[in-house]
Amino acid sequence: MRFGRFGLARWPIAIFALMMLAAACTFGEGASDDGGDGGTGGPVELTIWAHRSPSFNAAIRDSARAYEAEHPGVTITLETFGYDEYIQTLQTALPAGNAPDLIHMFGTWACTYTDFLRPVPEDVISLADAQERFYPGPLGGYTCDDTLYGLPQESNVEYGATLVNTQMADAAGTSTEGWASWDDLIADAQKLTVIQDGAMVRAGYHFTAGDGLAHSFLSLILQAGGSYLNEDGTAFTFNTPEGQEALGLLKRMADVPVIDPVLFNDDENWVGECYFTELCAMGLVGPWAVADYAPDYAQVAQNTVYVKLPPLEDSEAFVADSGWGMTVSTDSANPDVAWDFAAYATLDADAASQWNLTSATLPALVENAAGATRDELIASFPHFQTWFDVLPNAQFVGQLPDRDKLYYEIIYNNGLEALRGDVTIEQALQAIETEANETFG
Amino acid sequence: MASETIRLERRRRLFDGREGAQKRFVFAVMSPALIFMAVFMVLPIVWAFALSFFDFSPRRTGSPILGLGADNPFVGLEHYRQMTDFSSDATLNVRQFHTAVKVTLLFAFLVVPLNLLITLPLAAMIESVRDRVRPLFRTIFFLPVLASSVGVAIIWSFILHPQNGLLNGLITKITGRTTIVAWLDNPDLVYFGIPVALLMVIAAYLWQDIGYNMVIFIAALQAIPRSVTDAARVDGASAWQIFRHITLPLLRPTILLASILTMISAFQVFDLFQVMTEGRPDDQTLAMSLNIYRNAFRYQQMGWAAAMSVVLFLIVFVISIAQARLLRTRWEY
Repeated sequence: MRFGRFGLARWPIAIFALMMLAAACTFGEGASDDGGDGGTGGPVELTIWAHRSPSFNAAIRDSARAYEAEHPGVTITLETFGYDEYIQTLQTALPAGNAPDLIHMFGTWACTYTDFLRPVPEDVISLADAQERFYPGPLGGYTCDDTLYGLPQESNVEYGATLVNTQMADAAGTSTEGWASWDDLIADAQKLTVIQDGAMVRAGYHFTAGDGLAHSFLSLILQAGGSYLNEDGTAFTFNTPEGQEALGLLKRMADVPVIDPVLFNDDENWVGECYFTELCAMGLVGPWAVADYAPDYAQVAQNTVYVKLPPLEDSEAFVADSGWGMTVSTDSANPDVAWDFAAYATLDADAASQWNLTSATLPALVENAAGATRDELIASFPHFQTWFDVLPNAQFVGQLPDRDKLYYEIIYNNGLEALRGDVTIEQALQAIETEANETFG
Repeated sequence: MASETIRLERRRRLFDGREGAQKRFVFAVMSPALIFMAVFMVLPIVWAFALSFFDFSPRRTGSPILGLGADNPFVGLEHYRQMTDFSSDATLNVRQFHTAVKVTLLFAFLVVPLNLLITLPLAAMIESVRDRVRPLFRTIFFLPVLASSVGVAIIWSFILHPQNGLLNGLITKITGRTTIVAWLDNPDLVYFGIPVALLMVIAAYLWQDIGYNMVIFIAALQAIPRSVTDAARVDGASAWQIFRHITLPLLRPTILLASILTMISAFQVFDLFQVMTEGRPDDQTLAMSLNIYRNAFRYQQMGWAAAMSVVLFLIVFVISIAQARLLRTRWEY
């Protein structure tokens, strides 16, 4: 069978052209600015997206059911995605105008999506009032150019205290109460380190995972009196005396050694796994790790306490990465109702406290870190005690152009090279500064 | 007037009469496949090619036309120009691109010959055993192909774990000394310029992949006429001479097919790298597919990632053409 010069080829081309046209027409559609019918009193259906996590999802569902009970016309549906899938779904759904009413978002993501998120209305809470009610660490992530784009529900902290295995500490005669200086901590960590035939079989203090290394480095710069961002936040400044002091201290720990960065890092013996399989005596990871690992490692969890890290140069300040919270998308047809629910879940002290209890997270609301709520949280999660003590020292890490790249590619890779002795501290700092400044574009 | 007549005649031939009916039938049965290909193959390729000329990030709104332009500006060939910057001042993105190209080429050019060196003799050996046990060997060697790549990567990661891994445990048992080697994480473990971490990924890849080519070679071996080898045997040729001078040349088209398929899949390996090493240590296992994924979905630099994927496409295309020309035969049996 022969076909004309264009013959059947014309049809696929036509179909393809139609599809391109359809794609062009639908792109960005749905970004509605109208107030929707939220105020008319009719039934309202809200959808909220979140990453898949049993405790977080249960906490969101509980908040939704409680809100629905108080607002009979409102139905809230939770849709969840695996973590990586969630990030990709947001990347495609937000520009395409297919986002749900509410997005459960990590604070440090918020400012990268401001084109697709609604600012928090003044009648929900003003920025000034929010700064009064929330810790600066979690709130900072949602504050973009002095505009608030979401409300946090938890304080995500990865620095300030370390896991300590009390059984190992007792056996080695080391402290489970705290250390006055880094020298004391390093001395204890050295006693806890086990080396056989020249190979480290147990690390004394594991801080060389992606988050641990980045948070340690940035926090120690702050404690040394420096800053990793210039005054207007437009450039990184790592190659400084404070940067040298921070990386120098971390390098000293690898030299002693209390950690072998080749055997203990993000890929091999990640800190949570390392600690709970008893390959590390102390490990730097946030309080969420205990909730995650305790069911599988009950015995180790029983022998676990969090101990406050020592200060450097008398400063206890440390960086924090915001936390999970509620945002409302520009695609929401019922933004008023969506914000009403977000306000209920985050600003109502009882609802917010219940959310923290169910999700095993530290509160973002200052008032929930005191009094009966604090006691209730500590009764459920005894290891929170130490974190409540250090929480006021947490500072928001700042608006970083690409936080993940800075942490997991730049600080992590160059930091490990320095700790292994492959490059000098000065070379590592220079590389970190150059590569980090490239992320400003 | 004449062109209008020709157009109408073409239209009549397309829709009327027996030939028209045939064309309509062909169009009807081909449409689902064409639509599928257009939506899931052609459209993404065209989109990726277009994106490579923009500094596109899904974090930014861009213009109403496909989100291109405005905050996602047109940069022309800038991404491709950056890729040719081999100076010491090149950005981290560019240096990682160069590393990824090197790693991917090294991986592919090690995997293809190793795969063929293992699978071809293996297929010949399996073909030489008794009929009753042959299916058993075929099944054993083909089983890893059926396993999920992520599962294979996790199993190999367990085997290679420094403290709890089988490999170090075995070495410790044999030597009597505690042996803790970070096979996947020690950047100083490099032999003949090849990082051990990359060799370990290659080992995992070969373990999973050899069954596939082995089955192809078994089918090809079975297709070689027995009369040819029998004639050689009558002429006094040894088993090795038969394999070297008869079997191997007759397998040339199959070797071409197997090497092209292996090369293409080696360039596209992602899951093993992602699960086993994530590009570490020190980017020694940063494959192009992994680098593209990271930039697109982790760092949301879609334009840059699209440009790298176009380069990956071109590399695979050129190498496949070269392979086809080098191994082409002008005869059949």
